Amino acid sequence: MRNPPGPVLRMGGMHRMGLPLERLPDDALLAGLMAGDPEVAVAFVRRFQRRVFGVAIAVVGDVQLAEDVAQQTFERACRHAQVYDSRRGSVPTWLSAIAHNLAIDMVRARHSTPVDPEDLIALLEAVTDTPERRAIADEESAQLRSAVAELPREQARALVMAGIYGMTARQVAETEGVPVGTAKTRIRTAMGKLRTALAPGREVGHG
Amino acid sequence: MGECCGMTCFQLHELGAELSLGVLPARERAAAVAHLDGCARCRAEVHRLTLAGDALLSLVPGAEPPVGFEDRVMARLGPSLRPVQRLRRRRRLVLVAAAAVAALATGAGGWALGSAEGTATRTVVPAAAQTQLRSGQLMADGRVLGRVYVHGGPSPWLFMSVDADGVPGPVRCTVQRSDGSTVSVGTFPLRDGYGSWGAGYPAGPDAIAVRLLSAGGTVLATAHLPAAGG
Ligand SMILES: [Zn+2]
Repeated sequence: MRNPPGPVLRMGGMHRMGLPLERLPDDALLAGLMAGDPEVAVAFVRRFQRRVFGVAIAVVGDVQLAEDVAQQTFERACRHAQVYDSRRGSVPTWLSAIAHNLAIDMVRARHSTPVDPEDLIALLEAVTDTPERRAIADEESAQLRSAVAELPREQARALVMAGIYGMTARQVAETEGVPVGTAKTRIRTAMGKLRTALAPGREVGHG
Repeated sequence: MGECCGMTCFQLHELGAELSLGVLPARERAAAVAHLDGCARCRAEVHRLTLAGDALLSLVPGAEPPVGFEDRVMARLGPSLRPVQRLRRRRRLVLVAAAAVAALATGAGGWALGSAEGTATRTVVPAAAQTQLRSGQLMADGRVLGRVYVHGGPSPWLFMSVDADGVPGPVRCTVQRSDGSTVSVGTFPLRDGYGSWGAGYPAGPDAIAVRLLSAGGTVLATAHLPAAGG
């Protein structure tokens, strides 16, 4: 049986058979999660676990803690699915933000040392890397990557420390051995450039 | 709008990046938030910075969680999911096993029984889901206004995205059932004719169509669904 992707949808207006959950758009999957459908929950977890765990492990740096953060993230998403607003960001963006907040809370609660210098370098490389193998690398994320890559090194470091590790300007200053005012300026300047790189395109807000 | 609540726009501008990244110490944060309450321009600025911060997170590479993660998450989510459906799943598992036995009997697939038992919850889930989810386009006079996804079963739900230029919101969504009855699923807003929305609705005879109505009750578009089962 042939299975042409686009045209059939447009012409026929319907599918002949049921759809696999894998084909459901992100926000539809979320609607199913809201209805408490366990099959949808499995599909949801499968689709986003790499993203969620990636954010968690980047921040907490420990597999066990990261798993705990990732589990809590899905629990929250499940409980608060109805507050998700697609105009404010995609589902993976929303989940990343939840995971990020939880991870930072965990790091702060444990008074962990802010960041391992080698981890920071590795993360900086990962964030600015533009590998072709990354299949989902769309134009927007490519633009962003190059915007971060073009930052002066000290600004990029401050950006990753504050924006990903959740470090305050004071902590950035201590780590870098610079005055707090300098750290603040680096964070602000880097964020300004990032925002400008995003500005001409659409908002980060489509399914 | 130079100053509001003890912080000026300039001061806010200085701290906006840290605020949007959630790394501003509590006291400064409180003052900044108070300023934002009264200053739409700074609010918009911080919103853009927040999007930039979110975008930065999207650059963090994904990572495979430890083996068994999915099962542990599902165990944790269990209480917030519908118990009815877990029962249904078990019943389906029996059906799958029966099918496997049939396959075995005809010599068509001797491996099926073993794999159905061994990875019960995993193999059953996507297979069952395929027959439960249906999709149709929302049509109005030959124009496509959006798409509807309907998931059947004991706790059915639907999701629709609408892109209807010039249609003012809010709009209402109804489901036509195979017995001729109609159930109202809910109302949702459109922004510039665009909106997406999902909700659960009571179980009953199969849905055959989904309608989008104006607030006044006029039918704006209809999506016919393929027959359930499959
Ligand atoms: Zn202001």
